[in-house]
Amino acid sequence: MNTKVSIEPITRLEGHGKIEIYLDDKGNVDRAWFQVPELRGFEKFVQGRLPEDMPQITSRICGVCPTAHHMASTKALDDLYKVTPPAAAKKVRELVYSTFMTEDHTLHFYFLGGPDFVVGPTAPKAERNVLGVIAKVGIETGQKVIAMRRKLRELTALAAGKPIHPVFGLPGGVAKPLSAETLAQFKTVAAEAVDFALFTLDVFDKIVLQNSGYVDLIVSDGFTHKTYYMGMVDEKNRLNFYDGTMRVVAPEGNESARFASRDYAQYIAERTEPWSYMKFTYLKAPGWTGFNEGNSSGIYCVAPLARLNVTDGLATPRAQAAYEQYIKTLGKPVHHTLANHWARVIELLYAAERMQELANDPETGDSNVRTLPTEPPREGIGIVEAPRGTLIHHYKAGEDGRISNANLIVATQNNAARIALGVDKAARTLITGGKVDDGILNMVEMAFRAYDPCLGCATHSLPGSMPLRVNVHNPQGEMLTTVRRDSDGSIHRT
Amino acid sequence: MTVPSTGPSLRILALGNDILGDDAFAFLVAQRVRERIPGVDVRCSSASGFHLLDDLLGVERLLVVDTVMTGNAPPGTVYVVREGDLEVTPGNSPHYTGIFETLALARALNLNAPREVLIIAVEAADCLTVGGPMHPAVEAVVPVIAEMVENTSRNFASELS
Repeated sequence: MNTKVSIEPITRLEGHGKIEIYLDDKGNVDRAWFQVPELRGFEKFVQGRLPEDMPQITSRICGVCPTAHHMASTKALDDLYKVTPPAAAKKVRELVYSTFMTEDHTLHFYFLGGPDFVVGPTAPKAERNVLGVIAKVGIETGQKVIAMRRKLRELTALAAGKPIHPVFGLPGGVAKPLSAETLAQFKTVAAEAVDFALFTLDVFDKIVLQNSGYVDLIVSDGFTHKTYYMGMVDEKNRLNFYDGTMRVVAPEGNESARFASRDYAQYIAERTEPWSYMKFTYLKAPGWTGFNEGNSSGIYCVAPLARLNVTDGLATPRAQAAYEQYIKTLGKPVHHTLANHWARVIELLYAAERMQELANDPETGDSNVRTLPTEPPREGIGIVEAPRGTLIHHYKAGEDGRISNANLIVATQNNAARIALGVDKAARTLITGGKVDDGILNMVEMAFRAYDPCLGCATHSLPGSMPLRVNVHNPQGEMLTTVRRDSDGSIHRT
Repeated sequence: MTVPSTGPSLRILALGNDILGDDAFAFLVAQRVRERIPGVDVRCSSASGFHLLDDLLGVERLLVVDTVMTGNAPPGTVYVVREGDLEVTPGNSPHYTGIFETLALARALNLNAPREVLIIAVEAADCLTVGGPMHPAVEAVVPVIAEMVENTSRNFASELS
């Protein structure tokens, strides 16, 4: 056994955040790539498993949003067995899902996006972290965030069995109806969540929108890409996180496609690139034309920014008012990546209001929450809008009724090509004539942080500041220089 | 100022994922410790980011068992790190938010954070393959770390008596 007492900063995964930049003959950027490690072997692992185990297995592959995987998987099982859940089951699912979205968006806005937008993009690096956010919003607000999260979490545990990994989704419904006591608790917390979301919108308004420097940054060219957008809407073209029809809008804002979940493969294709493990998705209709923006490129994006671009409005009154202000300020469609943070706060309000609606809907408490499947399992597709964007689960079962094939498209795959555009733009701005500016680390980080890309692993204990490594290559592929930021924030150049 | 914890206590927090190859390491350690010291406070979590908060609060001392992949040492290499050993800048993504950021948050908000945190981590060969096998060198360290954890736990108990 090798024992070592280490006081060096160490990161959990080698290769996190590796960026490869290739220069042309003049020393300018030919192409820049952002690499992320990906999970492998999933398809093989699930072969031969019972379909009913899939919501539990898939919720284990992400330490950040297991509820989204659990729900997409449960919906895929409905389709696999061709069974329609009773109305109450759908409502219970959407109620739990809205609770989860409220929690995730809250944490993201304050503690994760907060360093850029609450503390400020120009604040010193040492303050741009969760402690800086608390210094800015105050301990009381920080405690409010934590208390809100705890209450939402307790509700998830009550309704879905476990707070972090829910176990309530079954093909055709949910494991148990909500008791009157549980529903009463949902009503109380939902009312608090709506107040809290309004408070958060106010925080965003005071800190970000009333600061012209921030607004200038949001609309700056460096963080703007004209692409297609995709998200889920209801029959009136209003955003829905849990169920509906997929809608795609073109860079000009007009609807370019609309399809049911089960038809996704007719509209979306996946491709691999030699430099990445990740499968990139693109829209089949415009097709793949390389890493380009605009109408003729099949690159699209998902997540809050995209969702507010595809929706005609929000189904709840206060969120609708906030959405109108957003569109009035930024126009539509919004092509500014950093507007994701604003869109997220509006979605937080929608999730909280939706939670309140469902908690107060008498049908949510109905005891009929399961339609028993009678058909043999064949093929099923389930889609939800996860906090970070569209999540697709697609399963096939063999003659023995066990899973024979599974394909997952996670939010970050949908966004990967657009993230690559952002990284490339940042690199072009900061590298000319072979000179590499150290500021590239911050620019690149801002360019992908707004998406909060899902990486193929849960990062548990040891990383600090995200380690980033930028390798610069000449046209022959030889490495010229490396700029590295370690977990302690120190920058090294070799 | 941090509000004192509820009482002198130790929790073992195993972080990992038993469907991801070597990432099952901490859970195997936890299982062994549970078998050998009945009643010990052991928790297993596959969560990341600020979700770790649920498992951090309300104890005086926290002993974390985890895997890392630095690529700088052979699989099975053991790292022992105290919280104060690392200068850490909290990160900006739940995908990069770990124990230290969550502890920093808990302390800043006067929550019931442990006063002492010790992390035992083992270098893993592969935590990215779903259903992947464990590297023999990583698996071999399970009993060794379990014993380290047990000793820490027993020493702590005797300090109290």
